[in-house]
Amino acid sequence: MIEVLRAGLCDLVMDQGRPGLGGLGVPVGGAADPAALAAANRLTGNDAAAAGLEIALQGPTLRFPQGGVVALTGARFVAIRSSGAAVPWNETLVLAAGETLRLDHAETGCRCWLAVRGGLAVPMLLGSGSTFLPAGFGGLEGRALQTGDRLTFGTGAGDMHLLRAHLPPCEADAPLRVVAGPQVDLFDDAGLAAFFGGCYQVGAASDRRGLRLSGPAVTHAKADLPSQGVLPGAVQIPPDGQPILLGWDGPVTGGYPVVAGVIAADWPRLAQLKPGNRVRFVTIELEAARELATAQWDIGDIA
Amino acid sequence: MGKYTKGQSHVHPAWRWVSERGLRVPTGDATLACYGTLVAQDFPEIEDVIPADGSLLLVLRRGGFVSAALAALLTSPLTDVPVPGGRLHEIAVEYGGTAGPDLPVVADLAGMDAAAYITRHSDADYSVAFLGFQPGFPYLRGLPGALQTPRRASPRVRVAAGSVAVGGVYTGIYPAAGPGGWHIIGRTAAVLFDPQRDAPALMMPGDRVRFVPQ
Repeated sequence: MIEVLRAGLCDLVMDQGRPGLGGLGVPVGGAADPAALAAANRLTGNDAAAAGLEIALQGPTLRFPQGGVVALTGARFVAIRSSGAAVPWNETLVLAAGETLRLDHAETGCRCWLAVRGGLAVPMLLGSGSTFLPAGFGGLEGRALQTGDRLTFGTGAGDMHLLRAHLPPCEADAPLRVVAGPQVDLFDDAGLAAFFGGCYQVGAASDRRGLRLSGPAVTHAKADLPSQGVLPGAVQIPPDGQPILLGWDGPVTGGYPVVAGVIAADWPRLAQLKPGNRVRFVTIELEAARELATAQWDIGDIA
Repeated sequence: MGKYTKGQSHVHPAWRWVSERGLRVPTGDATLACYGTLVAQDFPEIEDVIPADGSLLLVLRRGGFVSAALAALLTSPLTDVPVPGGRLHEIAVEYGGTAGPDLPVVADLAGMDAAAYITRHSDADYSVAFLGFQPGFPYLRGLPGALQTPRRASPRVRVAAGSVAVGGVYTGIYPAAGPGGWHIIGRTAAVLFDPQRDAPALMMPGDRVRFVPQ
């Protein structure tokens, strides 16, 4: 069990999400970096699909009355254990009964994932335990963790090993790679030059539904477009020319022209963007994007 | 913009990639028939199909590609395909007042008084074109031309669950509270989306809707 002694800014129960329900208006959602949560699960002996916590910017203080086997992946947060022992990332971590794990602010990046052996026991809704904040369902009562919450562990974890994960290589400062969007013809040369030559700042009003970017206006013909299906990573351009980069909990349809789509291989980098960060975009050929393999986490025994 | 290629239509001239996994296929009036056919056929390379206004978004699984069988289906004319849905929903609506704060504005834009607007809105027969924006949010086709208005210049930060709204050529119902850019003309107690129901979305594409003033 976990007792939430102090909730963080936005701690959400997440798993691999709800693919296949776009026709109902339900986005995939789930962990912003599904591979990172899956890796944390493997470090604790869980199935990759088990539910864990997604922690953003400012973490919670969690007490483990009966102890537990946990793992942290993603952005490194300032972290302190009541035992005084180190809090390694990307490793199996054994907490003694009664230990407290305090996660403070993110040192770099935005989000980390905490898996617990057995997974978090939450009701499955539409095939997933993920929290979907925009409609208030999933996870723990459809909301972020609150101080005083208690989370119980599931059962069914595999053999217990002390493991260490090695992250796939990632160029944090490289431009985000995009493929041309479906309405590229609506954008004039000045608009495209602004988008691909410009540097955009992530705005404060960003969340899991989308990142609001500010920078050079992406000019385009103000066409009245019919609503079309969209995916996470789609860069919509509203009339004011300031891009909206759709996130994991974003709408499945939208009426703004889409200038480009961030390729799936770069979605994990979107998960680590926070307000104030700056991003650039560069095009990649469609075929090249499709040949980019899913980034592989390398997991092995701790020597 | 030498690096910027528009050469993304190698599968079919009218198809457009939204990302390397999302293929937008224009379907015109056959959107729902095509959607029904795709869902029924269960192509292994498809993770999801999202119907929208005159197009479908095919979401491919990671590493998936458009098979010859799928391409053939998408390029063949669809005739006599049963359209999904077809249920009739009668939705009781409290129009105007705090339930529909934008009613005076849109009535004025339509050049009629609020009572006339309510009559026109509730006399029309609507059909669910697709679901989007929020889980279970129905985009209802059939709004009389006189009642069509552009969306609000600035979206509301919070719209109540069950709000009945008009935006562009559509009328719709917000299933959950949240931000919204359409004009709010009333509210219903109907639960549009409940993830614990066997059928989570009250309305499905192809269903018919009538609004009943309370």
